[in-house]
This record gives sequence, C-alpha cells and structure tokens, in this order.
Amino acid sequence: MKTRILGIVGLLAVIGASVFGLFVVPADLNQGDAQRIMYPHVASAWLGELSFGLTALAGIGYLWRRDLRLDAVAHAAAEVGVLFTAFAIWGGMMWGRPVWGVFWQWEDPRLATTALLLALGIGYLLLRRLTDDPARRATRAAVVGVIAALDIPIIHFSVIWWRGLHQGATFGDPAKILHPSAPGLFVIALMGMLSAFTIVWCYLMIRRYQLARLDWQMEEHGRLGRISAARRAASVPSPAAEEPAR
Amino acid sequence: MPQTTIYVAPRLAGMQDTIPPAVAAEDLARLFGRSAALAGISLEIEMGRTVALLGPNGAGKTTLLRILATAIRPSFGTLAIDGLDALRYDDAVRSRVVYLPHVTGLYDDLTAEENLRFAATMYGWSAPEVGDIVRAALDEVGLLPVATDRVRTFSAGMRKRVALARLLTARPSMVLLDEPHAALDGDGMALVDRLLGRWHEVGITVIVASHQADRVVGLADATLRLDGGLVAEVTGSGIRADSSWAAPAAAPAAFGSDR
Amino acid sequence: MSRFSQGATIALTIARKDALSELRGRQASGSTLFFAALVLLLFGFALGPDTRRLTDAAPGLLWLAIVFGGLLTVARLHQLEADDGALEQLALYPVDRRAIYLGKALAGTIAMLVLGAILLPVVAILYAIPIGAAWLPLVITVALGAIGFAAVGTAYAGLTVRMRAREVMLPLLMLPIVAPLLLSAVKATAAALGGDPFGEMGAWLQLLAAFDIVMLVAGAATYGFVLED
Repeated sequence: MKTRILGIVGLLAVIGASVFGLFVVPADLNQGDAQRIMYPHVASAWLGELSFGLTALAGIGYLWRRDLRLDAVAHAAAEVGVLFTAFAIWGGMMWGRPVWGVFWQWEDPRLATTALLLALGIGYLLLRRLTDDPARRATRAAVVGVIAALDIPIIHFSVIWWRGLHQGATFGDPAKILHPSAPGLFVIALMGMLSAFTIVWCYLMIRRYQLARLDWQMEEHGRLGRISAARRAASVPSPAAEEPAR
Repeated sequence: MPQTTIYVAPRLAGMQDTIPPAVAAEDLARLFGRSAALAGISLEIEMGRTVALLGPNGAGKTTLLRILATAIRPSFGTLAIDGLDALRYDDAVRSRVVYLPHVTGLYDDLTAEENLRFAATMYGWSAPEVGDIVRAALDEVGLLPVATDRVRTFSAGMRKRVALARLLTARPSMVLLDEPHAALDGDGMALVDRLLGRWHEVGITVIVASHQADRVVGLADATLRLDGGLVAEVTGSGIRADSSWAAPAAAPAAFGSDR
Repeated sequence: MSRFSQGATIALTIARKDALSELRGRQASGSTLFFAALVLLLFGFALGPDTRRLTDAAPGLLWLAIVFGGLLTVARLHQLEADDGALEQLALYPVDRRAIYLGKALAGTIAMLVLGAILLPVVAILYAIPIGAAWLPLVITVALGAIGFAAVGTAYAGLTVRMRAREVMLPLLMLPIVAPLLLSAVKATAAALGGDPFGEMGAWLQLLAAFDIVMLVAGAATYGFVLED
C-alpha cells in the first residue's frame, strides 16, 4: 500500500515538474525550447549512474555475505539503471538534434560516457540471462559489476581529456552554450525534476526488488520441492513441511 | 629434512585428544537446474577409512565427490572436512584433499614430466625437491620411459596413469577418486589397487567411486551406495550415513523471512 | 619462504606453463597473429586507397587490431585449461588464487606484447608510418596497453570460459571496459608519432597506467570468485 502511494506521488511529481519545466520556466536564451529536455535528461542520467553504483555495491555485498537478497538488489538496480540510462541517451539525442543539428557527436563527454554505461549495463543483464544456477549467476554478475564500476571513473577522465585536448572543437560554438534567462527558475526546474525522478526511481526499485524476491521464493520453493519430489520418488520420508510458504 | 617420498602420513587437524571425522556432512543437497543430483545426505566418515562409493549412473556419486573436493558448493547443507568448515575455509580444505575426476585435466602440449612438475610446484614442493618427487611418482605408475613425451601422444590409459602420478605429488589427508579404473588395462587396474592399499596403509582417507564394485569393495572398510541422490545402503565400519533431511532452513544462501 | 615469494613462484610457474603451451601449440598462437595482421590489411581496403587517410587513422587501426587479436589471445589462454578439464584441477590446487591470476595475466601480457611487436612494423609498412625516433614511447604505450588488456581480459576470460555463448560474451563484456584503454592508447600513439606537439602524451600514459593498476587489483581480488564453479 505504501509503495502504491509512493508510485502515485512519483507520477504526480513528474507531471508537476514537467509542467513547470515546459511552461513555467522561460526558454533558454541560446538554445530555445529545445533546452527544456535537459531537465529529465540530466535527472535520468544521474539516476542511471546511481543505479549502477548500487549494482556494484550490492554485488560486493553478495560476494561478502552470499545473501541472494543482495543479488536481487543488484539485479533490480541494473535493470532500472539501464532503463534510466537508455532514456537519458534518447533525451540527449532529442536535445542534440535541434541544438547541434545532429543526433550524436563525439565531443560531448557526457554522451559518450553514458553510451558506454548503457553498454556495460546491457552486458551485465545479458550475462545474468545466460547463467541458470542462481549462485553462479550472482557470483559472475557481482564480479562483472565490480570491474565495470571501477572502470567508470577511468572512462570519465579519458573521455573528458579526449575532448579537452582536441583543438578546434566544432561543437563548442559559444552561441549554442546554455544561457538560462532566469537562473533561479532554471535550478528549481532541474532540482524539481531530479527529485521527482528520484521518487519514481525508489518506486521502481522497490517494485522490482519485490518481484525479484517473489521470483526467488518461487524458485526456492521449486528447488526444495524438487528435492522433496526426488525423495518421494525414492520413497524416503522427508519430515520437512510440504506446504508452500506463503 | 623435508621428505621426498610419495606416501606421507596425513596431518591431523590440530585437535590433540579427539580426532575429527574426515567427513561430517549434514543435509547435503545439490541442484543442477531442474534436477536434484543430491537430495539430502548426511554422512560421517572416520579418518583413515577407505570407502567404496557405489551406485548407478546419475546416483550422485560424482556430485558428492565434487562437493567434498570443494570444486562446487552444495545447494543446501553443511560440510566439515578434517574438522574444518568446508564452506568457509575451502582453501584450507583444498590443502588437505586431492581429487581425481573422470576427466584427467592434463595439458596436452606439455610432457608428462612437465605436467607433473607443474603439479608438484602447485602442491608446494620447493624447486630442488620437485625433480625427485616427479621421478618417484612417474616410476610408481610405470611411466618413467615416456616422461619426456607430450601428453597429446598418450593413450587414454597412459593419461590416467599420469593423472594418478599427479595425485602422488600431493601430500593429502584425503583422496577422492572418480572411476579410477576407467580406461585402464589389467596392469593399470592393478596399479590403482596397489595405490589404494598404500594409501590405506599410511592412514589416508580414501573415497573411491567405481563401477568395478567387486574390486573396490574388497579393498574398502565400508561401502556407501547411492541411488537417485539419496543413500540407498551403507555397510562396513567407520561410516555413518542416511538420507535424513532436517529442515529447509538449513539452506546456506537463502532469503530472510518475509518483511 | 615468505608468502610473497611463494606467490611469485606460483605466478611464474603458471606463466611458464602457459607460455610453453602457447609455443608448442604453435598453430593457435600463430593464427591469432596472422589474423590481426589480416585485419590491418582489410582496414586498408576499407579506408584506402588514399594513403594519407590511412596514415591519419593508423594509431586507431593499430589498436583496433590489437584489441581484436587480444580478445582471441586471452580467450585461448583459458581455453587451454578448459579443454581437458584442467581448469577444475587448477582451481583445486592449494595456492593463493591471486597468484594464479597474476600468472595468467603475465602470460597474457607477454602474448599481447608479441602481438604488438608484430603489428607495429606491419602498420608502419602498410600505412606509411615513420616510426624512427618514436620507437621508445611507442613501445611503452604498447606495453601499458598490453598489461591493461591482459589484466581485465584474464578475469573476464576465466568468467566466460564455462559459459554458454562464450565466444560472444567475452567480446561483449570486454569492449566497453577497454574503451578508455583504447582511446588513451590511440591518443598516446598518435602523440608519439607526431612528436607530441601538445605535450599530452604523458597524461595519456598516466591514464593507461592507472587503468592497468586498477584492473590488476580488481582482477586479483575477484579471480577467486571467477574460479568458483
């Protein structure tokens, strides 16, 4: 019940922040209305990074404690992270087209980093899909998650230096740089959207985790059930409770 | 002076008065996808015993051996080897246990001698000792003449002998064998029997799974017959086994209760 | 023997064994080198015939070839374990698994250094690159790149060798991870060849070194989990 309230609040918050960003905040002086997509785009990117960070930490936690709950958190965070990161890239492309004239360009460090982040996240999810045994899957995913997380700062620096040391950036046209006409409202819009998205993020994480836990409980019951079935087939008494756990 | 013989009496796990059992397992179970290879086994084996592990294909013999070797973790249950918690201190257990699986696990492009030198170094022999121990092991299995030939050129029987020689370069307190007689001719099988006898003499615990029931039962203190992942029959001395299954809560990696 | 020297012995023993296996299984390692050279040739057909364009692109093409060859190389070093079930035996020796990792990473590094050493002259010839005075910074760049690639490649190859669809899983996981290594190595190579006009080569080499250290530490820390079945 509480989660549902959270979801509704999140939805309302996103709607509210969107209305604010679309109609209340004045348009950017340089980029015009196209700039408005920045609010959800930045919020999305932020939360995507946060999610993947959580994936890595939960993975480390699993390797330490072997508690599959932590693995479920990692899995949920990775899925939510891919969702937000993909949306961030889409937003980035939608923003880029009117401002730069192209959907993609390589001099923007954020876009390149986010693309790699998405690739890492998808790779993580594919790795999980291709492993059946739960313990093996959790271990492999945790290793990949940790190494990927350690790579992020290096990616970050390398891509920024890539652009910075390159003379004659063609997309750094000063006439196109962000120039909010009402900086106060601009910040409020950004923070508002970020908060709204964060609420939605929490909602999605909780729901996804609950789903994973249900999945696990079913799987666990299935596993114990298979053991009981094997025992019954050999007609050995199994004193364990046969009723499914609710 | 470090001993460079290939049969060494086992080191005890530190307890002065009580000797822990070589194997103490409870509610061992292991799932592979949909099937339960082991469906709940509790087991206690005295140190120094030779146990014949019997049963049809798919009974769980290999799975049990692999769990004892710490090659895989059980899905449920607890395990102690020589008194050590095998799930927490698997590295300590690995220094006491050697395992010969069905596949020989050799490096084809290396010679028999090089394979053994590698293993001996891994088992902790120092550089000057390695040569002696490898030679002794090769001699014991009768492969000294082909020591410098590449394993790629060996027959299945010869590869098995190299794998057996590799066992001899370790200093274990427990030896696990999965179908050691497979691929061997009469001489080879006699070699395995001889090794089983020598290990028993020096007090090394041996668990050997074999389809050659008659051969191993004669050499063993006890037999453990599995069927369908459960204990079907246990005879002999120094062993206790049954298919009790206490409670699902014995799962080592499980979710907490509903919150 | 101190634990450190014990570990070093183990690592060197493993590296030696891998190197021996590689040298003797001549066809496999030779094929990889030939494949990488072929890739460079094919790039010529893809981007030519204007040699100037190829010369400009040369650092990138070189490192792409090294990456593709590298994927095959690190995969093979674990495949030789999996072939006869030797990986399980390796995981069961009573040794520190970090030492096993370092041994395999060392073998991987050496294999990739050989790869780089062969490809440098090939690139120089095919794309008209004057290596000349820049040979030392180029060698350093190749060395740092090789270490980094082998460091993360060893961990991922061990992870994927027993997986379904392992031929695609290894590249799929590796390529995003080595993107910063690729970009830094290409920048450093270009700087070295161009006489380093902006003085940026040092920064790129430092980034490469940072990548190497981070991946070596991460690989060593996680290899024990990688070897678990």
